[in-house]
Amino acid sequence: MRVLVVEDEKKTASFIRKALQAEGCAVDVCGTGDDALAAATATPFDALVLDIMLPGRDGLSVLTQLRARGNQTPVLLLSARGEVNERVHGLNAGADDYLPKPFVIAELVARIRALARRGGEPKSVVLRLANLSLDTVTRELRRGETKIELTAREYRLLEYLLRGTGRICGRMSIIEKVWDYDFDPGTNLVDVYIKRLREKIDDGFEPKLLHTVRGIGYVMKEPA
Amino acid sequence: MTLRTRLTLWYAVIFSLSLLVIGLAMYSELVLETRAKIAHHREATIDDDAGVDITQIMLVYGGSAIVVGLLGGWWLTRRTFAPVAALTAAAETIHEGNLHRQLPRSGNGDELDRLTEVFNAMTTRLGDAFQRIREFTLHASHELKTPLTILHGEIETALHDENLPPGPREKLAGQLDEIQRLTKIVDGLTLLTKADAGQIALHFAPVPLGEIVRDVFADAQILAKPAHLDVRLTACEEIHLPGDKHRLRQLLLNLADNAVKYNHPGGSIEFSLRRADPDAELILTNTGATIPAEMLPRVCDRFFRATAAHPTPVEGCGLGLSIAQWIVSAHNGVLRIVSMEGRTTVTVRLPVGTGEINS
Repeated sequence: MRVLVVEDEKKTASFIRKALQAEGCAVDVCGTGDDALAAATATPFDALVLDIMLPGRDGLSVLTQLRARGNQTPVLLLSARGEVNERVHGLNAGADDYLPKPFVIAELVARIRALARRGGEPKSVVLRLANLSLDTVTRELRRGETKIELTAREYRLLEYLLRGTGRICGRMSIIEKVWDYDFDPGTNLVDVYIKRLREKIDDGFEPKLLHTVRGIGYVMKEPA
Repeated sequence: MTLRTRLTLWYAVIFSLSLLVIGLAMYSELVLETRAKIAHHREATIDDDAGVDITQIMLVYGGSAIVVGLLGGWWLTRRTFAPVAALTAAAETIHEGNLHRQLPRSGNGDELDRLTEVFNAMTTRLGDAFQRIREFTLHASHELKTPLTILHGEIETALHDENLPPGPREKLAGQLDEIQRLTKIVDGLTLLTKADAGQIALHFAPVPLGEIVRDVFADAQILAKPAHLDVRLTACEEIHLPGDKHRLRQLLLNLADNAVKYNHPGGSIEFSLRRADPDAELILTNTGATIPAEMLPRVCDRFFRATAAHPTPVEGCGLGLSIAQWIVSAHNGVLRIVSMEGRTTVTVRLPVGTGEINS
């Protein structure tokens, strides 16, 4: 997977590149809007990470130009202004996703993956991890032989976490996808729900599957 | 007594006095002179009632003249003071959001035109000052985000190193928490500053408020579990109103979060949503320390904390209620807080308007 990172702030560009490389991506970095436009036109990329604030031509202008030229590369917009209207503007201009700064790198990586494989992977009907299975049609959850009841919200949360098995799911993505909020609720809502979910699916069972990555997010995985 | 009435009365007094002087002069000229001539010529046939007639005529015409004068004075002062009334009405509507609005000037260069000019110049200066403060806050919060992004990114990268010993890992994770808290404060400031400048466009559409209340009620039940609070929904009518769905959810969640945070273990929270024509009325009551009356007017101020009421520090960015207040105002609603005898009640009234028809 080849990703173009357009970010003029060198340190930020550097840790985004490292994180994407660690995921096995080939990463190109550009510092200005004009360079980005030239690079994205010359080379086919699987995804673009595009900062809005750039010297010279800004990110939104790059995006509009790309789309006007028929380039449909998935674009993840980054913005330090991080506020509702800008998200709407970006998505209207043809962006596929939007992440306000400061962001959790794990979220950026997860979103780039999701964008690059858009529509690619078929969604499985039964999600399994160790002896846990979640049927997304009947909404039935089993851990071994035990049937577990979930509330609607807990179900959505678990399905979201299971679909990202093995990867860290950031708090922001969880709030967006499970709660459908476009704002940070500023509460420990997610943490409290995770705790409840853990009581239901992990307490009294082995191995433990739902793990907290302090300060970053949560991950469903079998311990190595 | 208004200036206008006073002036009209003065006008009447002066008018009457001058009329009196003219009257007396005329009386002496016409009546006394005539009488003197009559006495001189000794012609008894001439009507001796001439003086009485003239007095009557003068009373009738003079009286009408005074009435006309009074009305004229009233009209004249009203005309003269119309710009003052306009200035007063305009000054009453001025607030920090519309300081750049200019009052219309007559352009005739009189004292009132000059006053309007000075007034306009003053509000422009004030507007500029407010604008500079807003821009400063916006720039500051924007500039803060770059170092925050770098700090967050670098600490997160360091945490991904699997060889990191538990001690330093804990320390770094703690720093990450603080960076996230700082980010929330900066985000809140940006939001409120933009809202002040009218730069946030809300997306109005018919919103099922009952549904949002039930959703947030469910979240509140979960949030309240650790403190063993009893959360109840006493009424939830199906009400549709024009609003921004996301902002209204944010409002409710903010209030619910406060009700949980500023509670005492084993306390309670009560939600209700009812129609109170022409508004929808949402009431959220929670047990907990009473907010002192003198602090109530300030609880929606930015970064204000009624510290005395809460001996234990409560986590949060200190902007929750300010944001709630903004959301309610942006929906043309009213937010009221009452606190007594260990119960705090937040009442939000939102106009139902045309949302009912559209839905």
